[in-house]
Amino acid sequence: MNLNSNETAFEINLKPAVAKRTARIPVKCKQKNRFIPVFLGTVAVLTILSLWYLEIDWGKMASRIPDVGEVFWDLAHLDFANMDLVFSSLVETISIAVLSLLYSLILGIIFGMLAAKNVFRIPVLSVVTQSFFTFLRAVPTPVWVLLMLVCLGMGPEAGVAGLCVHTTAFFTKSFAQSFENIPDETIEALEATGANRLSIFTNAILPAALPQIVAWAGMRLETNFSECAILGMVGAGGIGYVISNSLQGYDYGTAGVAILLVFLVAYCIERIFVRIKKKFS
Amino acid sequence: MTKRIPLIARDLKQLYTVFLIVAIVLFAVCSYLTNFNVMTLIANGDAFWEFITEDFLPPALPKSSRIPGILSSVLVTLALAMSATTIAAILAFFVSLFGSEKVSPFPKAAKFVRGFATFLRNIPALVWAFILFSSLGIGTGVGFVALCITSFAFMVRAFVETMEDVSQDCVESLQAVGATFPQRVSQAILPSCLSGFLSWFLYCVEINIRASTIVGMVGGGGVGLTLFSYIKGFQYDIALSIILLIAVMVIVVDQVTGKLRKEILK
Amino acid sequence: MEPILKFDRVSKHYPNGVHALKEVSLEVTEGEFISVIGPSGSGKSTLLRAINRLIPISGGTVWLDGQTVSNQHGKGLREQRRKVGMIFQNYNLVYSLSVLQNVLHGRLGYMNGFQGVFGLYREKDKREALDLLKELGLEQFSYNRASDLSGGQKQRVGIARAIMQNPKLLLCDEPIASLDPSSAKTIMELLRDMTQKRNIACIVNLHQLDVALKYSTRIIGLSKGEIVFDGTPAQLNDEMIEKIYGTSRENLMIGGNDDDKADTADCA
Repeated sequence: MNLNSNETAFEINLKPAVAKRTARIPVKCKQKNRFIPVFLGTVAVLTILSLWYLEIDWGKMASRIPDVGEVFWDLAHLDFANMDLVFSSLVETISIAVLSLLYSLILGIIFGMLAAKNVFRIPVLSVVTQSFFTFLRAVPTPVWVLLMLVCLGMGPEAGVAGLCVHTTAFFTKSFAQSFENIPDETIEALEATGANRLSIFTNAILPAALPQIVAWAGMRLETNFSECAILGMVGAGGIGYVISNSLQGYDYGTAGVAILLVFLVAYCIERIFVRIKKKFS
Repeated sequence: MTKRIPLIARDLKQLYTVFLIVAIVLFAVCSYLTNFNVMTLIANGDAFWEFITEDFLPPALPKSSRIPGILSSVLVTLALAMSATTIAAILAFFVSLFGSEKVSPFPKAAKFVRGFATFLRNIPALVWAFILFSSLGIGTGVGFVALCITSFAFMVRAFVETMEDVSQDCVESLQAVGATFPQRVSQAILPSCLSGFLSWFLYCVEINIRASTIVGMVGGGGVGLTLFSYIKGFQYDIALSIILLIAVMVIVVDQVTGKLRKEILK
Repeated sequence: MEPILKFDRVSKHYPNGVHALKEVSLEVTEGEFISVIGPSGSGKSTLLRAINRLIPISGGTVWLDGQTVSNQHGKGLREQRRKVGMIFQNYNLVYSLSVLQNVLHGRLGYMNGFQGVFGLYREKDKREALDLLKELGLEQFSYNRASDLSGGQKQRVGIARAIMQNPKLLLCDEPIASLDPSSAKTIMELLRDMTQKRNIACIVNLHQLDVALKYSTRIIGLSKGEIVFDGTPAQLNDEMIEKIYGTSRENLMIGGNDDDKADTADCA
């Protein structure tokens, strides 16, 4: 029902634009993007279908809303008794994020070089690398971490390795893009000097793409930290483990402290990154 | 000449050196703190390969009776992402109107609106999910709310930025004409920012497809939960086919949203 | 005298069906300063890039310094390329690097893999690069970023990079097309002086007929991929110009006949 009324509403909206002079005078310009109303309609329909499909028991959830308030109230009673545990796991989380970023930076440059179409000029190589990393990127990080947990055992190694998979895949794609943005003429000029392809890459393409690489890395640190914070919840160590463990053990005070710290660190990284971005532009 | 001729200016060289030293120190400190060592990882490479080649490959199909269930769990994940993003976008639109000093009828409150959004955004979706699980119990509804919270906060920020970029001048001019707040919104902000908003909306759908898989893993339902149960049950070859399924789902959604974004920004 | 460069019936077809070069034959000897003129799309750029195989040719043979270029690959090709310096219309420098680093790029062809990849230049090369920058009047900019320079200065860095290769032949692809008239004059004079001093043969693609007449020892006229004129500037009469450009001289913006007037840059 809802669906039909939506679509007719859009048709009516469209009419003034196409109507003849004799009718009302149109005020909108004629080359309006016809696609947007269709898009909005489809989104509305899909959303309604989705909500219907999910069969969420809204009544039950609404009845429990007071519990939510209670939990937040409990979380707000910060309990600093386990501070050393919270703090050490936070440091561990940050370390995992930084370490995976640094490793991925190096791997990303190497694979980005293989994936970019203008570095070695071997189309097969770049297509294969691109599609492999598209696959790796499409799978969410926690899945990789879970698999790493299985083969490397519990501990930060699994976290670093799992995060590296996704981060490297992300860097490969974005660095390859940055490398491909280097004008072909610049590369031609170095080709004309008789330099080999690897020298051209390190001497011309890499330095020219460096500012972009820095920007990508900054952006990724933000993501890596929040990814890292949730890894503990699927079984790896770090602050996420503390949060999920204390929530499940009804130790809301400690969980509150941990969540607050996660927020503060994420917020600081964001602010620093905004600063850096402003400097670059 | 005994002294080497430098290649770049001294101050630049100092900057690079500082950067390099910071990176190396960070690397060393973090390696020490986490006890992470590539060498041990490489030394354990055999076990790693064995795992990949024996447990993981080749991908195996689950029992045929399970397949419809798995496919419907993919649909749950997609539906979760879709509905959560739309609801969050609608809420974010109204809230973002109050988040920009230039547009809001209460400019003094704008800072608080943005601050609130920043707080919500900087706590990962999964943490929200866990907080809500402990009060609302495990279920798809909680996954929905958790996704809503983060994407709502993300879109408030994105929408405010879009509004401040795009419609500053026309809002001002309409204000000069004497238009009321709803008039300004419908005549200046919506027409000039709609395509920008929709582009952010699509981006958020992309993020939420991944996020809903993750939220699903800890109890939100959907394909994430299915995958989690296969991994916990040591059926890695079946898990691999589900991972492939997730990858296909994400890639298809990315392709579709990419196409749609091009159409919208035309 | 042995020719530095020899074209033997060289042709180039592009995949889209364009015949950029049709059986072109020519010889270049040491110390020549050749201008290649012709309308846009007549194959000037292709001719230049066929010499160092930036564009692979489809027929014929190119000899460079007694060796063929057309069948070379990998290391052999790179060794041939470093004998040929090249200067571009848009300078094509790496703008985030220092001027000195850009000049030293000219030595990359001589360095082995490891040194080249990490940019470990020899002190002798660095000294030579600094001397060269001094000669070109860019000494004080040696450690500036290449992006800080003006157009004319960037092109001078381009020349320095090409000369660093110790080339036997210098190719210039419309070196003054993006420059203002006074910088254009400086660049052309530098090109002439530096090539004469080092006895380097030089081939310049030009759109400015008056510049070609003033600086070259020999002019080659290209039209639709064929050489229609090859001779000294004195031999280039109105009839020949008409043959090259396909239209009479009155329809062309030739530039000032007065040699001192340097309004060369904006001419067709």
